[in-house]
Amino acid sequence: MEVKKDILWRVYLGFLGLGVFGFLILGKAFYTQRFEGSYWKSMGDSLHTKILDLAAERGTIYSEDGSMLSTSLPQFDIYIDFGADGLRAKDGKNFYENIDSLSISLAGLFNDKTAAEYKKELKQAYADKERYYQLHKKVSFEEYKALRSFPLVRLGRNKSGFIAEVKTKRLNPFGELGFRTIGLYRENSKLVGLERSFDSVLRGTTGKRLVRYVAGGVLMPVEGFEVEPENGDDVYTTIDVNIQDITERALMRTMTTNEALEGTCIVMEVATGKIKAIANLGRTPEGTYFETDNYALRTSEPGSTIKLVTLLAALEDKHVTINDNIAIHGGRWNLNGRTIVDDHHGPEVTTIKTAFTQSSNVAMSKLAYQYYTGKPKEYYKHFTALHLTGKTGIELNEEFSPLIRNPNKVKPKQWHPQTLASWGFGYELMVSPLQMLMVYNAVANNGKMMKPYLLNEIKSYGTVIRKNKPIVLNEAIASEATIKQLQECLAAVCTEGTARKQFETAPYKAAGKTGTAKVNDGKFKYRDGVYQSAFAGYFPVDAPKYSIIVVVKNKPHAANYYGGSVAAPVFREIADHLYKYSIDKQQPLQLPVQDSMLYTFAGMKKEVNTIASQFGFTYADQLAGNWRRSYLKNKTVQSQTVQTSNAVMPDVKGMGLKDALYVLETAGMKVQVTGKGRIVNTSVAAGSPVAKGQEIMLYLN
Amino acid sequence: MSQIANISSKFSPAGLRDKTRGDKVIWAIVVVLSLVSLLVVYSATNSLAYKLYKGNTFVYLFKQIAFITLGIIIVYFAHRVNYTIYSRVAKMLFYISIVLLIYTLFFGAKINDGSRWIKLPIINLTVQTSDIAKLALFMYLSRLLSKKQDVIKDFKKGFLPLMMPIVIICGLIAPANLSTALLTGATSMLLLFIGRVSFKHIALVGAAVAVPVIILIAIAGAYYDKAEGKTKELPAVLSAGRIPTWIKRVQDFMYAEKSEAPYQVLQAKIAVAKGGMFGLGPGNSEQRNFLPHPYSDYIYAIIIEEYGLIGASFIVFIYMVFLFRSIRLFRKCPYAFGAFLALALSFTLVIQAMTNMAVNVGLFPVTGVTLPLVSMGGSSFLFTCLAIGIILSVARNVEDAEGSLEPAKEELA
Repeated sequence: MEVKKDILWRVYLGFLGLGVFGFLILGKAFYTQRFEGSYWKSMGDSLHTKILDLAAERGTIYSEDGSMLSTSLPQFDIYIDFGADGLRAKDGKNFYENIDSLSISLAGLFNDKTAAEYKKELKQAYADKERYYQLHKKVSFEEYKALRSFPLVRLGRNKSGFIAEVKTKRLNPFGELGFRTIGLYRENSKLVGLERSFDSVLRGTTGKRLVRYVAGGVLMPVEGFEVEPENGDDVYTTIDVNIQDITERALMRTMTTNEALEGTCIVMEVATGKIKAIANLGRTPEGTYFETDNYALRTSEPGSTIKLVTLLAALEDKHVTINDNIAIHGGRWNLNGRTIVDDHHGPEVTTIKTAFTQSSNVAMSKLAYQYYTGKPKEYYKHFTALHLTGKTGIELNEEFSPLIRNPNKVKPKQWHPQTLASWGFGYELMVSPLQMLMVYNAVANNGKMMKPYLLNEIKSYGTVIRKNKPIVLNEAIASEATIKQLQECLAAVCTEGTARKQFETAPYKAAGKTGTAKVNDGKFKYRDGVYQSAFAGYFPVDAPKYSIIVVVKNKPHAANYYGGSVAAPVFREIADHLYKYSIDKQQPLQLPVQDSMLYTFAGMKKEVNTIASQFGFTYADQLAGNWRRSYLKNKTVQSQTVQTSNAVMPDVKGMGLKDALYVLETAGMKVQVTGKGRIVNTSVAAGSPVAKGQEIMLYLN
Repeated sequence: MSQIANISSKFSPAGLRDKTRGDKVIWAIVVVLSLVSLLVVYSATNSLAYKLYKGNTFVYLFKQIAFITLGIIIVYFAHRVNYTIYSRVAKMLFYISIVLLIYTLFFGAKINDGSRWIKLPIINLTVQTSDIAKLALFMYLSRLLSKKQDVIKDFKKGFLPLMMPIVIICGLIAPANLSTALLTGATSMLLLFIGRVSFKHIALVGAAVAVPVIILIAIAGAYYDKAEGKTKELPAVLSAGRIPTWIKRVQDFMYAEKSEAPYQVLQAKIAVAKGGMFGLGPGNSEQRNFLPHPYSDYIYAIIIEEYGLIGASFIVFIYMVFLFRSIRLFRKCPYAFGAFLALALSFTLVIQAMTNMAVNVGLFPVTGVTLPLVSMGGSSFLFTCLAIGIILSVARNVEDAEGSLEPAKEELA
């Protein structure tokens, strides 16, 4: 029993030891809970839950007429996980059974590779067991729908390994039309234009969702922890797609003919200040043109277009009238050692009006120098009245401030006596085309200066949450008498001045001012022979509707660089289109005269002949042209030629649709149709001028 | 007549009850732990069932029920065997286990560079051979201890014959599973101590084992880049087999900051922290989704998470009761072998349980040890049942011995 006792105390010692150890275990657990508990619990929560962002749908940018200028569409990037269990199960049974039909389907859908190529690549990727094989990027929703029904893919994510990642693509339905102004939205790149200015509005609010990892790598939303995303608001702009298109094309034509470096053109509605179009083109090294920058907002020395302001100052301060004479010394004037030269030789003395229309630098610098030397502040107050001392405040962040030396902030001694003379014809100060246009628009608007703006309204889920109204910056920039004289001078530029040739044939009257300035910016010096051609004006003269500015920076030593010959044609082309556009709008639809239709027939010469002989009417056709409008008179068929040309609208009334389409589309028009039967009316009246590509609406009875 | 009565009593429920003998408390513990196992395994396999059986969580429940049934059958038959037979079997089983260990070392299924498993044909069950070897070793040690009591203090006659089997078995387990080898060795030492082996000799073994362990710790310290917080590049000698794993584990335990602890340690701590005093309630574990092997190696963490410190204490208590009842058997057992057998097997089980719990609460470095009778199925569960069966067999004999002095009341009734 001694042995057993000896053993027994050892056993109890072991038992005790294990008992103590048990307490240690529980103690450790207690310690973990009591003193580190919150740390571990919060770690547990952070490891197992995660906050996911729910992307908000970006708002759409609309034109004034409701066309989408920039909108968002879902897009899919398709990947395949060749390591998916379901795909590899049973030695890739699913994969090998479907590979052939899948390859054929893919080749048919994407059309970029043959079925054999697809098959080869998929097999290779399967062999390499790629976990994230990129099948196709930027798949549209329609394609994605088709893809989902394909063999293998339709087995679902687990069995096919197909992964679709949704991305939102920003789409500009009109391509790069005005995109510096509208803005392109691309991930990871800086925004420009309205996309930038209204980013906070368009972006919406990203939603948040708390998710928890559960078994099998599935994410499960945690109830009550979800913030729904708020979709971005829609921005309705003042831009008119048609005018924008016209503007862009007109500018492009001039840019390419002259191989110019940069160009911009803005169209503004006179009465409201709405920007209807804003085009910017910059030459790329390859010689193509692209909206490289918003030149409309960049400042430069304006040159002769500023002469409107010079004249305004002199007239308003009653130093002169436009019929006063002024000595221009044949176009060369020596001012304290500096020679101011006109582009053309002129007479010794001329009227101020003529000097303006001929764009005499001497006359304009003289006006400024003569009447304001010693009192630049008096001159400067006109810049203030014209809001040329600050930004216009247009809804674009890229706008530059004008640079005009403020005599109120400079000591008289530091004021250079030549500055006023330079100001007179547009140097030593920098103004952007938009700011200049605002001034011309005010003159067109009888002295009432409107603030230029791009934003009509903002809608949130269809309801208007912000509406912009035209803003008057200055009820009268000058007296009525001054404005009248300015308007007269501007009109004279287009009838007898530097832009005379461009408007000789115009069916409307325009007013404006040419400008040809030597460029001295960071890149070019005055001696480099780079000229900036400009034309700013408005039309029609009697009741101005639109004001337009065109500014083009030419290539060095360009053969053609005058504002009248480079910029004015752009104005003319745009004005021509807008004129037609406005005429068409004014003419209400004429109701067709029903009964006369019964006896008239319009169609091809041959067909009229056939009909006449078939029905036994006497008919002899000796007229020119292929198209006839015929009617019965005293049982004889009388015919007229239907004039077809590319410049005027043919009279297609009475024709069948087939004939009318032929006539109009060979003339280059785009035709839309409503109704059935024969043509009873057209959106453009017969005989009015039409352009290639213009849209014509045909009404059939 | 008596023969017929015998036969009928064998198959009637009452007969089965008569045949079921041994310590009733130990039986009760087996039942309670099995029930706990059912509850926790069902909860812990939830995520595994999701992954493999599309959410049919009953699959593992039924599997565990099958295992428990099989386990109880094993306990029953093992306890019906007269334990003296185990004495004879012990030596044979010991030799067989050596062969099995060697086979496993070279041909076994590899998991994480450790070759620990062999697959039994026909029944398609993977068996961790160290489980068999452990059982065989402790049975064999009990036999030796009981036989050598007279010469136990002698180095050559007592100590060496006892030490040899331990060295062989532990040496064969170590390459694939160092922690099990250490655990087995330590338990053996405890048994030698209880078996009155000279304390000097045991200290000698302690010193001999300490040398490689200290070397391992030294290497782990030397090849740890504190600035980077990771293991430096190891020379070729140290990159063989599982040596890098050992080094890494020691380093993790020695250096890791709270947040840098190995993933499973981190998740286990979170489970413990979430449990609190009363736990989240049955089936409410969240950590089961993140803990590796929440149904076996980390089942205790899940128990704490679902049943709190109360539940955790209950499990510790149950194992201590189990050990206490085995000590009672030892006191009552008239034969040395039986006494040692009950002690050896119960201490092993409880030490293994404590180790599992210590790992779970972060008291020990990470080792893959199951919680006996609670962890889900597998060969270790069945071997645990076999061990308990053997203990109950001793208990039955103790009862029989007592019964011979005062006849069992049931027989009279």
